[in-house]
Order: sequence, then C-alpha cells, then structure tokens
Amino acid sequence: MELIDDIAYTTRGRIVESDAKIGCNNDVYITLAERDLETVMHLLSASAYELASLFCVEGFDAHAAYTLLYAFEKKPYKEIAVFRLPLRWESAPSITSSFPSASWYEREATDGYGIRFTNPFDERRLFLHESYPEGFHPLQKGFKNSELDTMENGEPTGAGEYQFRKVAGEGVYEIPVGPVHAGIIEPGHFRFSVIGETIYHLEIRMFYKHRGIEKLAEGKTPEECVRIAESISGDEKVSNAVAYCNAIEKLCCIRPPERAWRLRTVFLEMERIYSLLGDLAGMCVDVAFPVGASPFFILREEILRQNKALTGSRFMKDVIGISGLKKDVPEDALKQLPTFLDKCIETFEESVEYVRSTPSVIDRFEKTGVIRKELLAALHITGPMARSNGLSTDTRIYHPYGLYEKIKPNVKTVDEGDVLARFETKASDILDSCRMIKKALDDLPSGPVSTDYAIRDGYATSLVECARGQSFHWIWVKNGVVDRYKIRTASFCNWQAIEHAVIGNIVPDFPLINKSFNLSYSGTDL
Amino acid sequence: MNKAITNIFKKPVTEEVTFKDEEFEALGIRLKKDIDTIFGRSLAIRELDSGSDNAAEIELNNLGTPHYDVERFGVTFVASPRHADVIVITGAVTRNMAGAVKKTYDATPSPKYVMAVGDDACDGGIYKGTYAVLGGADMILPVDIKIPGNPPEPKELMKGLLALMRSIRNRR
Repeated sequence: MELIDDIAYTTRGRIVESDAKIGCNNDVYITLAERDLETVMHLLSASAYELASLFCVEGFDAHAAYTLLYAFEKKPYKEIAVFRLPLRWESAPSITSSFPSASWYEREATDGYGIRFTNPFDERRLFLHESYPEGFHPLQKGFKNSELDTMENGEPTGAGEYQFRKVAGEGVYEIPVGPVHAGIIEPGHFRFSVIGETIYHLEIRMFYKHRGIEKLAEGKTPEECVRIAESISGDEKVSNAVAYCNAIEKLCCIRPPERAWRLRTVFLEMERIYSLLGDLAGMCVDVAFPVGASPFFILREEILRQNKALTGSRFMKDVIGISGLKKDVPEDALKQLPTFLDKCIETFEESVEYVRSTPSVIDRFEKTGVIRKELLAALHITGPMARSNGLSTDTRIYHPYGLYEKIKPNVKTVDEGDVLARFETKASDILDSCRMIKKALDDLPSGPVSTDYAIRDGYATSLVECARGQSFHWIWVKNGVVDRYKIRTASFCNWQAIEHAVIGNIVPDFPLINKSFNLSYSGTDL
Repeated sequence: MNKAITNIFKKPVTEEVTFKDEEFEALGIRLKKDIDTIFGRSLAIRELDSGSDNAAEIELNNLGTPHYDVERFGVTFVASPRHADVIVITGAVTRNMAGAVKKTYDATPSPKYVMAVGDDACDGGIYKGTYAVLGGADMILPVDIKIPGNPPEPKELMKGLLALMRSIRNRR
C-alpha cells in the first residue's frame, strides 16, 4: 500500500488520492480545509502517524498570507506526508490534544509569525524571551532582519516576566537552576519542584541561545546557507550540512558523485563517534568516575585529530557542499583510517567493559531516568533515546539517504529505557559507526567529489540521523534564494522527554540523566 | 617510616603518556610561570556561553582531558563566577542571554578579566546586525582579549591565555 492509500484509509475517505500532490522525493503534500483539521489529526494520531514537524510559511499559497505545514512520518513509509493548511485569518485550531509534541511548534509559530491557536495547551512565548517587545514577530516577511533598538540601562526591555508552572502543596519547594550552569556547558533554565529529595516536576526553559538562524537564512543564496546549517550545532556540523545540501540536491535534481557520498558517510559516522564518546565520558564523570571517563576522552581527542587530518577541521566544517564536497580528502589520511579505527575499537571495548564491571557505576546507571514507553511516539523521541527504550527506529533505515540505501546500520535496541540502556545503545552505535566507515571506504572510487549544477526553485524535506536522533530540514528556494529554511533538530523533540524522565528521581541524579541524553541547546534554540 | 622512604623512591603508579605534545607542554610551562607570578599559583576561569554553537565548549572542555590536562599548569574551571579571576565568554551575545551575562559578570569579584573566545564572541560573527543578538561580547562586557577561531583549538586557547597574562602584566 502506498502512503497516500494509507492516508485515505486512515482518514476514512476524507482525503483521497486526487487531493495529493507529489513533491520532491515522492513526499505527499495534501491541502487540508480548516474544518477537517481536528478530525484528520485525531485519526492520524490513532493510526501511528508521528508529527515530524509543524511550521509556518509565508506566501506559500496564493490566497493566504500564511500556511501551516504539518509533516508526518509513518513507519515503514520512506516518504513524508505534509498537510498544508492555508490560513484565512492569522489563527488555527491547536492540535495538541492529538499530538502533544505540537505545543512547542505552535508556540514557535506564534512567536515567529503571530499565528494564534484556539484551545492551545500553552500560550506562553517560546523563543522570544522577555527582552523582545510585544507584537514582534521576526519571521514575518515584513520584518527586515536588523538590530532591535529597545535597550534601557544596558538591559533589553520587553514583555512581562515568564511564568513558570507552579506546583503547590505541603513540603513542595522549588530549585531554580541556570541559565548559567556550573560546568562548561550551554545555557538553559531548569525549574525543579521537589519534595524532600525527589523530583516531583521539572520545567525546562530553553531558547536562551536563540540566534535567529531561520531568519538569517532568508534571502541568502543556497551556497551561503551551508555555513548557516553548520552553525546550528557545533557537534552536528556534518549532519546538518548534509541534511541541508541533500534537500537542495533533491529539489534541483543534483546527483553527487559516488565518491562524495562515500566520504560524506565517513564524516557523518566520524561525527557520530566523537559526539557519542563525549556522552559516555560525561556519564562517567557525572557519577564521579573519572578513571572510566578518561579513555573515552582520549579516544575522542584522537578522533578529532583524525577529523583534522581528513578535512582540515577538528569539527569537519567547511567540507560538505552542494553536489558533494567542497574539497577532496588527502590520500594518506584516508589510507591509515581503517587501521586507526581498529585500534580505537580495541581500546573502546576494553574501556566499556571496565565501566560495565564497576558495580558502583552500574548502581547509579540502572533504573535511573526511565522514559515511559507511551511518550516515545507522542513526543516524537528518536535516536539513542528511542532505541534504548525498545523502539527500533533510525532515520538511516526508514528514510535512507545517500550511501545508507546500500550500507545499513545494525542498530541495537535495548528495552529498559534507563541511563544504563542509553549507555549501552550509544556504545553499540559507536562500534557500528566504525564498521560502517570501513565499509564505506571499501572500494572507494576515485574521481571528482562534486558536479556542476544549476539552482532551481522549489521546496523539499530532508531527514538525517545525527548522533542525537532524527533532524528535519525543510527548504523553500524562491527566485534562486532561500525563502524559508525550517530546521527541527533531534534535540528539539528529545528535550521534552527529559521533563518526564526525571520525575521520581532524586535531584543529584539530574546531571547524570541530562548527560545520558546530552542534547544540544544551540540546536534547539536556533 | 620505612614505607614513607620507599614511597619517595618508588616509580609513580601512573602510566607513561604516549601522546606528549612538546609544543603544548612548552606553552603550559610558560603559562604556569606567568600564573605563579601574577595570580599566585592558580588561575580560576568561569566559562560563560552567551550563544555559541557549542563547538567552543567542546574545545574548552578538552583542555581538562588527558591529552591537555591544564590543571597541571594551574588553570582551573570553576563552578561559580564568585570564584573566578577570568570569564571566558563564547558565542555572540544573544538578547535572551544578555541579562544572565551581565549578572555573571557582576557576580565576579574584582580584579576580573574577560576573554572572548571564537569569532562570534569577538564581533558577533555571522549574526552581526541581526535581531537576535546584541553583537560580540564587547557590546556588553569590557573585553580584555579576543581569541578568534571557529572554534579556536586547544593550543590557540593556551596562546590566548598567555597573551592575557602578558597584557595583565603590562598593565600592572
């Protein structure tokens, strides 16, 4: 059965095949009428559709100023179903009762475009904090990106104070943490409501690092935007650049040469390895076990040095380009990579075994920070967080791109959903990435790493599996420049799982639980 | 007594490191000398992320890992601005972080120094002139030294710290 048939069946004939328009990569675009929205969303959620993203676009439909796009995925379909809702007025019904994860997206659309939602779950601002004036909506085309002049005594002035959810009752007290934290980490605010030592409720306030990336991309040429994609998150530079370039390549029908895709895969997996090594080390540090953390830190540093030898940058920036790579890789660096990885695997397995065999560590890891299974689909939890919770999900398998059509990852699924399960899943991801790099390097063809191309107008989605899970990119090129670049990183969805995972745990375990997710703040705040 | 004497002459229990980088070691020893004379043995750094892309954080974190291990040279990253001599600020200053950046600076006891790390912290980088940022760190704090790079590598961070020491010494 095709995706459109499944949609017709799921929506009980409210949507039929002739309603659908097939976009790039066979994605299905369906225009919805506002009166059908709630029913259709309800039926989709009952039939295992997951909300991959929800966002607003200006000038997408001829008769409406704004259009809301609801992007869904359903296993095992490779294609994405995008429902478009042209807005007659600047308002729409909220879909949070069918898809709880829609709440952040809706607040994002309210901040960015001034769209109001009826019956919303939460009406507070999201990425615009107090310092932004009322009525300011940066993503509207009418606003030209420029500095805002609303500073008083060096402090920006703006809307009223943000109200955290209040938990009241005998013995409940609050612990505010952040935005500046004790370690060398990114800023965000955690508001705990605690009874004794046990966390009863947690509210995470993000977006301190909101840099206006989506607005920044507006009006830039597709080439200039690669740099912007790389700035989304420092340790996801390759993933986001590949996701972005892949979308442009799809809508312009560019086919990067085989060598380029093979090398891209090497970089993608190298990035996964160094990122996950940092997570494993961090988990050990947070249970006061630096002896166990050191080997992971050593390996990570060695991987970063390999990255530099391969691409000239420890974080592999400025190497991914539209139609392939911006430059080829030095032959000698490539040649010694498999031997280097073999040595890494040996040390790595020893180090993991050492952590596993330390009872005081396992005692802290086990049964800590469990995510309840019913949250996975509702919040669209992906990556190691989902795989450590019994869900065999991986964008590389369900929405393969580039070389993943040929080389399949062997992802490990663990059932427990606790910190230990995340440790095991991430450890197994690292080993699998080593295997995939070696496979990608097997009979690597010589030849160019990019092709000639011409930019065309159009729009396309692109999904990648970064170390933290699935990232979603949607790009609309109009008149040769980027008109709208929507980014939803894995962290954006996965953050909301932490609020639930900590409930019932003690406050001292919070850093460990947070580290076992190790999500990107900059990738969420954009 | 016997045990104490044998312990003195026993070889260290730690293993010999195989990845010694002579240039980095030399930088570290010079830095230690400077820290000893200016700050009296230790330099306490408070890291402050005002809107970076997190790569600079990874590199700063790296300074504490086995390859670099800068605590040997008297450099410590402290958990509170109240314990800090130097604020290392990364990323362009976002509007949403501006208040927290100021509070962190105000909480640091004088004399205090500010080191801007990375292109975005130096002048706002690609975000310069956009709605979401105020610009580089110097828009809001008195910056003593700027370390460009995207992000600067551990050796460049060490050179930056050395340059900061030099500028402090010249001012005294």
